[in-house]
Amino acid sequence: MSVASPYPKAVPEANRYIGQRSRKLKGDQFLTGKTEYVNDLELLGTVHMSVLRSPHPHARIRNVDLSRVRQDPRCISALDGEEAKQHADPIPHFISAAVFGGKYNDVRVIATGKVTYRGQIVAAVVAPSRGDADALLDLIDVDYEVLPFVLDGDEALEPGAPLLYDTEGWEDNVVIRIPFVEGDFDAAAAGADHTLEDTFYHHRYSTQPIETRGYIASWDPRAEAYTLHFATQNPHPLRWVLSAALRVSEAQIRIIAPTIGGGFGLKMPGHPEEGLTCVFSRILGKPVKWIEERDEALLLGAREHFHRFKVAFNADGKIVGLRNHFTANVGSISACPGWGMAFLAGLSFPTGYKIPATDVVVTAVTTNKAPWQAARGYGKEGPQIVMERIIDLVAEATGIDPAEVRRRNFINKDEFPYKTNSGLNIDSGDYHQALETALKLLDYDGFKAKQAAALAEGRHIGFGIAFELTPESADIPGTIVGGYDTSTVKMDPSGKVTLLTGVTTPGSGNDGGIAQIVADTLGVDLDGITVIQGDTDICPYGFGNYSGRSMVSGGNAALLAARDIRVKLSKVAAFMLEAAEDDLVFDQGKISVAGTDKAVAIKDVANVIYTLAFATAHMVEPPLEATRVYKPDNIVHFPDEKGRIQPYPTYSNAVHVAIVEVDTETGKVDLQRFGVLHDCGNMINPMFVEGQMHGAAVMGFGAALSEECKYNADGSLAADRFKTYMMQRANEIPMVEVEHQVTPSPFTLLGVKGAGEAGVGGAAGAIINAVNDAIRPTGARLRRTPASPIHVLAALKEAQ
Amino acid sequence: MSDTIHIELTINGAAKSADIDPRLLLVEAIRDTFGYKGTHIGCLTGDCGACTIELNGEIEKSCLVLAASADGGEIRTIEGIAPDDGGLHPVQQAFWDEYGFQCGYCLPGMLFAALDLIESNPTPDEAQIRHAISGNYCRCTGYNNIVTSIQTAAQRMAAAK
Repeated sequence: MSVASPYPKAVPEANRYIGQRSRKLKGDQFLTGKTEYVNDLELLGTVHMSVLRSPHPHARIRNVDLSRVRQDPRCISALDGEEAKQHADPIPHFISAAVFGGKYNDVRVIATGKVTYRGQIVAAVVAPSRGDADALLDLIDVDYEVLPFVLDGDEALEPGAPLLYDTEGWEDNVVIRIPFVEGDFDAAAAGADHTLEDTFYHHRYSTQPIETRGYIASWDPRAEAYTLHFATQNPHPLRWVLSAALRVSEAQIRIIAPTIGGGFGLKMPGHPEEGLTCVFSRILGKPVKWIEERDEALLLGAREHFHRFKVAFNADGKIVGLRNHFTANVGSISACPGWGMAFLAGLSFPTGYKIPATDVVVTAVTTNKAPWQAARGYGKEGPQIVMERIIDLVAEATGIDPAEVRRRNFINKDEFPYKTNSGLNIDSGDYHQALETALKLLDYDGFKAKQAAALAEGRHIGFGIAFELTPESADIPGTIVGGYDTSTVKMDPSGKVTLLTGVTTPGSGNDGGIAQIVADTLGVDLDGITVIQGDTDICPYGFGNYSGRSMVSGGNAALLAARDIRVKLSKVAAFMLEAAEDDLVFDQGKISVAGTDKAVAIKDVANVIYTLAFATAHMVEPPLEATRVYKPDNIVHFPDEKGRIQPYPTYSNAVHVAIVEVDTETGKVDLQRFGVLHDCGNMINPMFVEGQMHGAAVMGFGAALSEECKYNADGSLAADRFKTYMMQRANEIPMVEVEHQVTPSPFTLLGVKGAGEAGVGGAAGAIINAVNDAIRPTGARLRRTPASPIHVLAALKEAQ
Repeated sequence: MSDTIHIELTINGAAKSADIDPRLLLVEAIRDTFGYKGTHIGCLTGDCGACTIELNGEIEKSCLVLAASADGGEIRTIEGIAPDDGGLHPVQQAFWDEYGFQCGYCLPGMLFAALDLIESNPTPDEAQIRHAISGNYCRCTGYNNIVTSIQTAAQRMAAAK
């Protein structure tokens, strides 16, 4: 069902900035080392926290003995789980599985009773320096009763598997099982020309911004309030989380997020260290600082799915049915939103393809690995990889060209808005045109001959295609994940503009994009606009950064607020210029009468509104301040007749193409070229959009080729530093060649769609397909990520 | 407490001295003892490059150097790249114009690698640029615009000679 927008679609008349490649705001500050990140802040009297983590993946805590550490003169304070319980309640789950009918488990700032993963916090100390605090951990004695543990998702589902939680409701390790079933798969399969069955393992990998998490909590005993300098993507939602856990009102917490050194989901709320620094600060009345170390950041993984699928299709390549019952090994339960990725992975099938019968069931299972945390793509990246494998398998089975199989199954451009089997309402797109443009980028038509010539020389090169549908800007009902946001625009008496918004930037530049919208709407210079984000006492209520939402929610809200200011300026300027409002043009800091040389400076009109409120500006209400919310259309939370909801307003899409060469001796994959056609509707700043795609695509390269949160058999993390968690380096990869297609969203004011998450799944999918194309002559098939040498060699060996 | 050791350094042209813990890493001394916070910490294992500085004319990852061993050294940090009379160095300017960074955390490594490369090779090609920055991780840009920024900087600097 389409919902008409109550807002006019018009964009400002003079696009000096919207659609332009304006530079990042305050770029010179970053480039000269003046930007302050959380670790750069020095608050008077700061003391430092370090946490002791469990060395066992599963154990009962018999006793924590803090007597030795407390005798050390360097120890300012120390807590175990039972003591911390006196100061803090369980951390509210950012997205609780219980809201969707799943299970819940209390998560505390320090574990009590038992630990369910290696790395879980069992005690914490505070000392004058971080070095001292780290050293003091050796003086904490913990007595554990070691329990049997399980790391594998399928094994955790077997009868007799070790049970992680012995609290009420946990009769097994299933967190939640969610079906997305539409049509009759069995009937579709019975009537189809062919069926095929196969598996695909999408491994565990992670976000890893170069700046890790960091928190400085300060309790002011006189004001009885916290000021928290936290590297967080979501200040207002985090305030709600901490208020509940710390037994204070939200008004007693001010969160100030400084510049963030990358987020990608890692810095979403729910981490125990957030509340723990607050607890110590309240006990001590001093600022308590904790900066995450890299091995701690690497504990938090995402995406470990085992897909078992059956596809029904006809000889013409048309897919008529898909069954995919998959497990998601979400690790231990945490209060962070990670597990929700499993939900959205199920919801996103079958991406942009029309498949009449779908039987998709996701089972999220808890194991003795560390928890998931949100990661760019937020579950939607997995279905891209798997669906694109499926398309290529159908192409192989029917002998039809893989690009043609895509053409035959895509949703057509005249079918939008298109309701998917899982209830999503895809807004707009032209997938066929996107595919053609992407194929031309890397000369698909000419590749077959090159491939044959290479093979004649014993070289294995391959071409991979992946379509990517990216549902963006989610509102998940019953959780603190909102799809709307708020912006405030103020013009002061000297005509300068301050923009405050509830969305935050993790480094992406959305502050600049939103300022571009305001500058054009008001006809002022971009460099006259100051943007403030991330401060819960100053900024209007908002949800921060996730789900490609900054322009969709905060940007459109700023447009509405700026229009409110413009209306006042317009009325007063018309009076001053003795002209009709319809004839006024706002541009370059002036309001002029079209077709004449009559004009007035905007700053002068602003001054009049503040100083002549009872005279010249009598017809408007001062001051020049406006706060507006933007709720995008197309979100539907009242379930339809089948119980389905529609949590996303916009659906960006992309087609990724990759050329690889596989060395069949060593298993090494060389990514030689990579291109992507990206369509996220209207772009406020194409340079920022491209930057998002470059970064996301290269994360996808890492997902496809090298990054892996590998565990040892004893439950410890094998990839616990950058020497073993291998991200892509500049000399290993080619340029990401981006082209745009613009299909505006009919459901958002500026026609924008989400950008930022697209790229991870599409790039990985294209590479995995390219690897399979390259090794096809050997008879081998790679049924997993990543295509790192060890897994490629295993696939080649299996075929021998 | 352990005994301290006295060190004297020049940082961005200014004479500095302090009595430090001999276990202190150079990155910790630069940031915490001397207050140059533009040098960042990303991994402390020498893998990410966010702590890159110039020590006696050579670029170094300052998490891999003990502060005590740098005694007497001449250091340049990211704060010391721009010319003294204000404005930006052409490499910094190119990174801004070409959107060569997003969150900015990796900039110490990327800028010093770029400066070092262009000094020894004023007309680097893409492969040479990628090799030059391969010791530094960037998680935001996919390196695309960093490569472009360094190409632009090199061209502008060559044209200005």
